[in-house]
Amino acid sequence: MRDGGGAAEAPVARAAAASGYEPSADGTILRVENLVKHFPVRKGLLKSVVGQVHAVDGVDLEVKQGETLGLVGESGCGKSTLARTILKLIEPTSGTIIVNGRDVTRYKRKQMREVRRELQIVFQDPYASLNPRMTVRNIVGEPLKIHGIARNRVERNRRVEELLRTVGMSPEHANRFPHEFSGGQRQRIGVARALALNPQLLILDEPVSALDVSIRAQVINLFDSLQREFGLSYLFVAHDLSIVKHVSDRVAVMYLGKIVEIGTREEVYERPTHPYTQALLSAVPIESPQQRGKRRRIVLEGDVPSPVNPPSGCRFRTRCWKAKEICAEVEPPLENHGFDHPSACHFAEILEPLKLSEQATLSEHAPTVDIDTS
Amino acid sequence: MRSTRRSGFVPDPLLSIRDLTVDFATEDGVVHAVQGVTYDVYPGETLGIVGESGSGKSVSMLAVLGLIPQPPGKIVRGDASFKGRNLMQMPNDELRQLRGGEMAMIFQDPMTSLNPVLAVGFQISEAIIAHNSDVGAEKARERGIELLDLVGVPNPDQRYDQFPHEFSGGMRQRAMIAMAIANSPSMLIADEPTTALDVTIQAQIIEVLKAAQRETQAATILITHDLGLVAELADRVVVMYAGRVVESGDVYTIFANPRHPYTVGLMESLPGLTVGDESLQPIPGQPPSLISLPPGCAFHPRCSLSNGRPRCRTEVPELHETGHPEHWSACHFLAELEGYKSKLVTEAIG
Repeated sequence: MRDGGGAAEAPVARAAAASGYEPSADGTILRVENLVKHFPVRKGLLKSVVGQVHAVDGVDLEVKQGETLGLVGESGCGKSTLARTILKLIEPTSGTIIVNGRDVTRYKRKQMREVRRELQIVFQDPYASLNPRMTVRNIVGEPLKIHGIARNRVERNRRVEELLRTVGMSPEHANRFPHEFSGGQRQRIGVARALALNPQLLILDEPVSALDVSIRAQVINLFDSLQREFGLSYLFVAHDLSIVKHVSDRVAVMYLGKIVEIGTREEVYERPTHPYTQALLSAVPIESPQQRGKRRRIVLEGDVPSPVNPPSGCRFRTRCWKAKEICAEVEPPLENHGFDHPSACHFAEILEPLKLSEQATLSEHAPTVDIDTS
Repeated sequence: MRSTRRSGFVPDPLLSIRDLTVDFATEDGVVHAVQGVTYDVYPGETLGIVGESGSGKSVSMLAVLGLIPQPPGKIVRGDASFKGRNLMQMPNDELRQLRGGEMAMIFQDPMTSLNPVLAVGFQISEAIIAHNSDVGAEKARERGIELLDLVGVPNPDQRYDQFPHEFSGGMRQRAMIAMAIANSPSMLIADEPTTALDVTIQAQIIEVLKAAQRETQAATILITHDLGLVAELADRVVVMYAGRVVESGDVYTIFANPRHPYTVGLMESLPGLTVGDESLQPIPGQPPSLISLPPGCAFHPRCSLSNGRPRCRTEVPELHETGHPEHWSACHFLAELEGYKSKLVTEAIG
């Protein structure tokens, strides 16, 4: 751990699944099947429902022990709604959520509380997610209190201090209030709170996007070291493709409520077959001026359509340079299409958007992209 | 767009900032937002100003434009001249003619910088008429539609009469750019122009910015925290930390051989998309409080090069030339970074 603060010396004894539930035999902690979340759109005096926001529309995914699944997509694609629905902070419309082998989809609040020993979340904005009137001690200690884990105050304090050390802060910070800390330190406090119950899976919802560049790397390295130390699994939700690449073992790409491509990091970043993934990767700014003109840029036309009336068939077709008639009629299934990982495109083909070439192919508009069809 | 400076002929700078120092009086004390900042902007070039929040990158520009409220702000000392005219002594109404005319701005958040109750097109025409009293309403409308078309707003003649809330984020930013280039400025100031936008929209706006530069031949000041944007667009780079310029130079030199430990730290802490996958080397600690800055070099408590050497704690480093032409670094020990190669450019081209 190179993240400035004190490293965790004493590993927090891993209370092997505090709730007694363990991952299934193949190590799956979380499985989500055909998860749907629609929000009603209400209008008029009687607030009658005039439409549905299709925020999450049939998502399947699983997270195994010790792995990081990255979930990328642009704003409004439903990635944060998905993260919250999995924890049932938002009630799902339909679908199944399986945590350590048990179906929690219909669990009531009280039952969910037990599940949250295994599943915790770290929010994006460390300024909004910490109660400004509570000390760090009370913030980090609250889950311990609620779940009756520490028997008395002394034990709870000891555990809070241990947790603070684990996230690279000093135990003396326990009596201070959130406003006394910078963004990076607040995010560490949020992580300490999430770790209090010894969870197996952390859902990280844009955990570093509110932080300055030099601080981001500190927090990312903290996640790295926590994962190594405690065997944690992460569902890492973010829009920054470079960060997701750095942290993830597998990556899922979301567009308008659906996963359009999923695979290992190498599969998705080096051999993407869905045009949206290809465009997304090609749109990331280059890393050094030496790369100018050596990367092909696919500039998509237009904006993401409204999730209230998503396009028929393939949802990406309105911005896709490959779209044909079938795309409006038949929704492409998330399948391998003869490649090593699934993508939801009728015309799936490998394109290497990150590959640099000496020949200058300056930014060009999508329709002119020549694709080797041999 | 390449600056003409390396060809031997050095034109007069368009904008010169000398020793600019800006303070803000707050309840907690005096915030030293900008301290002795000096740089030039040459005609037609793109200058990237890089820094994190609180580095003074935006404040220094706002001060030059006369947009710092005084009080609480105070320009303690320093000079700025635009085309040889002293901006610090300029009466307000003259400055106002310059802003939106010869010097135009593109801000980060197009939602707060467009008036929500006026049609987008009207706001563009208003900018044209405000600076050209002889242009009639009809003519201004024509030009406004032309500009919307230029920045890639589809159906510009219908979009002209729509309101900002009917535009998406990307479209609003396009409208802002149309407004900025309405009066053919010679200097465009883009403050985090893509930060609030999604990746695919960002890519569109970068293209629009390039088109706007081609159209106006304007020098562009690109204020950003995003090194990728700088790599993409800038000719020269100024790196700021805690209110000071810590490094400046040609974009290729800065990316390949940074000579200030802060610039090095920034590059080492970025996860790469195409470069190697080694673990990140963050800059330890936090940015300093601008109210009580560390003595000596403000970066020394976080610096990997300082190693507790007393000179870093006692003496504020001046900008020194590194040996590369026009490459400056404000580090006492910049010589020790000679030969350092950034990980961002070591990757061979495949």
